[in-house]
Amino acid sequence: MAFPKELIRNFCIIAHIDPGKSTLADRLMELTETVAERDMEEQLLDSMDIERERGITIKSTAVRMFYKAKDGKTYMFNLIDTPGHVDFTYEVSRALAACEGAVLVVDATQGIEAQTLANVYLALDNDLEIVPVVNKIDLVSADAENTVREIEDIIGLPAEDAPRISAKTGLNVTDVLERIVTDVPAPKGDPDAPLKALIFDSIYDNYMGALSYVRIMDGTVRPGDRIRFMHSGNEFDVTEVGVFNPARLPVKELTAGEVGYISASIKSVAETKVGDTITLARDPAKEPLHGYKQANPMVFCGIYPADGADYEALKEALDKLILNDASISYEPETSQALGYGFRCGFLGLLHMEIAQERLEREFDLDLVTTAPSVIYRVIMLDGSVRLIDNPSSLPSPMEIQRMEEPTVTARIMTPSEFVGSIMELCQEKRGVFVDMSYIDSARVKLTYKMPLNEIIFDFFDGLKSRSRGYASFDYELGEYMESDLVKLDFLLNGDLCDALSNVVHRDKAYAKGRAMAEKLKEVIPRQQFEIPIQAAIGGKIIARETVKAVRKDVLAKCYGGDITRKKKLLEKQKEGKKRMRQVGTVAIPSDAFMSVLRIN
Amino acid sequence: MAGIYVHIPFCKKKCAYCDFISFPDYSREDLYFVALVKEIRQYAPLMKDRVFDTVFIGGGTPTSMKPGRLAAIMRELKNAFTISENAEITSEANPESADEEKLSELVAEGVNRLSLGLQSADDRLLEMIGRIHTKADFVKAVDTARRVGFTNINADVMHGLPGQTEESCLDTLRFLFSMDIPHISSYALILEENTPLYESVKSGETALPDPDETADMEDAGFLVMEENGYRRYEVSNFARPGFECRHNLNYWNNGEYLGLGLNSHSALRIRGEWTRFNNTDDLTEYVNELGGDKLPVRNTRTIPRDEEMFETVMLGLRKTAGLSRGSFIERFGEDPAVKYAPAISELELDGMIKVTDDALVLTKRGMDFQNEALIKFMDQ
Repeated sequence: MAFPKELIRNFCIIAHIDPGKSTLADRLMELTETVAERDMEEQLLDSMDIERERGITIKSTAVRMFYKAKDGKTYMFNLIDTPGHVDFTYEVSRALAACEGAVLVVDATQGIEAQTLANVYLALDNDLEIVPVVNKIDLVSADAENTVREIEDIIGLPAEDAPRISAKTGLNVTDVLERIVTDVPAPKGDPDAPLKALIFDSIYDNYMGALSYVRIMDGTVRPGDRIRFMHSGNEFDVTEVGVFNPARLPVKELTAGEVGYISASIKSVAETKVGDTITLARDPAKEPLHGYKQANPMVFCGIYPADGADYEALKEALDKLILNDASISYEPETSQALGYGFRCGFLGLLHMEIAQERLEREFDLDLVTTAPSVIYRVIMLDGSVRLIDNPSSLPSPMEIQRMEEPTVTARIMTPSEFVGSIMELCQEKRGVFVDMSYIDSARVKLTYKMPLNEIIFDFFDGLKSRSRGYASFDYELGEYMESDLVKLDFLLNGDLCDALSNVVHRDKAYAKGRAMAEKLKEVIPRQQFEIPIQAAIGGKIIARETVKAVRKDVLAKCYGGDITRKKKLLEKQKEGKKRMRQVGTVAIPSDAFMSVLRIN
Repeated sequence: MAGIYVHIPFCKKKCAYCDFISFPDYSREDLYFVALVKEIRQYAPLMKDRVFDTVFIGGGTPTSMKPGRLAAIMRELKNAFTISENAEITSEANPESADEEKLSELVAEGVNRLSLGLQSADDRLLEMIGRIHTKADFVKAVDTARRVGFTNINADVMHGLPGQTEESCLDTLRFLFSMDIPHISSYALILEENTPLYESVKSGETALPDPDETADMEDAGFLVMEENGYRRYEVSNFARPGFECRHNLNYWNNGEYLGLGLNSHSALRIRGEWTRFNNTDDLTEYVNELGGDKLPVRNTRTIPRDEEMFETVMLGLRKTAGLSRGSFIERFGEDPAVKYAPAISELELDGMIKVTDDALVLTKRGMDFQNEALIKFMDQ
């Protein structure tokens, strides 16, 4: 028998990228005895190593809890844990759409941050009831009253009676549970209507294949049903439905208002896309749910095996990775410098970093990655338009009429003392000032329109260092704009190194060419001959450095009879050589390709 | 040919660049001595079929031990092993501890070669790298050594030291010429991790000469040694004719040697197998294990034939005479010029190696880029 719908509460937690959110989720699970205290591992919901280490959530997860409230009734809570980063805005929006309410956790020592605000707006767009909570009041630097004022001023939510809690110590967390009961509406929906299940995430399981994480909006689904994905049109037979306990627990059916998973022997998560609607093949819904979007990669880079022999291993790893993350795109490419590899697309920079890290860690690969790039629109002389995501495939300037690059609207929140230096940074990054407003006497919100290509690399680092870590940042994609862009090339000992080419604004080309040439001089080890390094635009050399020739490469001493030591040193040197890439006559260490971009 | 190496792990003060196993803790000298004697006696029956042509007592600073100790060790060696009549027997010494008493004791027991650590004739530089002697101490030590009967004397010198200039390097060498020292080991500084100098350089407190300056020092030094009748016979070793160090040549010929003492290394053919092993580098373990009549051996490894061949190449090419094809054929039944033909032809093209009727010889350029050359052999 289905659980009474009026006793179900579906909610998520919104917080800045910070372990605070997962800590609160852990406390809620403890208080509802969903997991025994002794089984608690810190941040239970974030299951990937990388998520734990970075303290961020990448994939959405869900957990079901039962809470006996002060009114004497027992409620079913479905907590959906959402990603917390701008790269995953679309995933967040679908997870929010699966809920009726959101617990907004604001850190009393930091106040509201740009990313929090962005997710609150997303929640309001999805008509969620917001339950504000002031966290970390156990810390001496906490300022609960000011935080409450900020919530009221910035978001416009009454927050006077918001629970003041410490997720870490568990202080007042019961108040949060009570507020979920009283403030978050029970789900609507008709269990007897045609099935509409919203996919808010999908994961790949080695035994069961791709699982759809769903919120049932209408209808009921049971094992044996034939289901249809309304956007892709694919059909599958349901083998199992279940809930999150938090481990997967099979149940007889999932019905309107409930949250759970559907298993249907689906081979890859690409076939169960976030935002798609699942219905029954024999009695389909008329319309899919709103809000489905194809998530498109925004940031591209070349990924190559550090050891060319690992190409097949890299290909297999990518195949496996996209079983779990359909938003990554990849296709084979070749580089003169790096050999055979893949051009990969990601939702954003963090997404890219995480994917690289997972490839290296989970698949034990050594990778060489090239500079990240955006998609440029190149309008040719004949009026045709080409989309270019790899600087080395940019057509010759002679054939180009003009070029356009993607822009973003960047929102930066910062203590007011750093405004000057942050504005300087935004200008350096070709930002166009849009707006500045005071959140309160001490905090400022800045809005800039900026080229995406300027923020994909080191903008965030710059922001953090100029604000001693206090500024926060969020962006949304804007339109393309025309821009005077040029391709900056590098020649090593006269040979073009395609993996180093990048697209920059003409005004910045000289400075960047010089800086990168200087950095190359640092990272390219001395070799038996002198190596000229040249930065060039078109055929014109704009900067030049020289790596002097090495004079000796011989071990002076043989350490008495310790031959083993000498052999080990040679082995090490040989390994080092293997990790070098040959560009023409010049050997370059694999990690140089990324490190030369870390200038300033 | 076979050699014996004896390690004495004590030093009055550790030099800033040194990562050898040695310590300034003489409270354990007696225990060490007893253990070393036990070790020598343990090996006696195992080595009864071998004739040793060289002995090398190194450290540390052998001459910093109590008077009589080195003589006792020499007597133990002669009792335990067959040491040929015309053997080359070397002891290392530092100028400050090479007094008449100790040096006479060595000569009396048959030590016929003295290797002195000078490093530099610049007192300021000596102090900076943590040496406790002066140029004057060296002069005195050499005079004493000659008086008690040493004629075969080596001086170790270094280049690439912090604050060192080419002129300072050359001054040191000219000083050795003036002292008529027949053998010079001239080493480029190797900055080893876990040394005070390494930390100091890493923290930016001390600056080393850049690699070009060091290369200049080396080239200039090598040239003036050649001009003054010293022949470079190995990467870092120079001698007047007839004064080449036979003990070290045995290493470079990949010959057999028995290491005795803390952290010493051995290479022996045991029941036909080329075998390497070393002693523990932990003094307590060394003393305790020998106390229980157990050899404190670690890392015993049978070297596969291919690796033994590569070792022979790696070591042989350090000599200016090169790797002897005859000895190689005798040892392995294969001509190295054939076995390593692909690597050799690549290196020939690069002007790094020459193949003569007798040997594989690295050119000047090949000597300078020896590691590169060896990696080619290794890859094959």
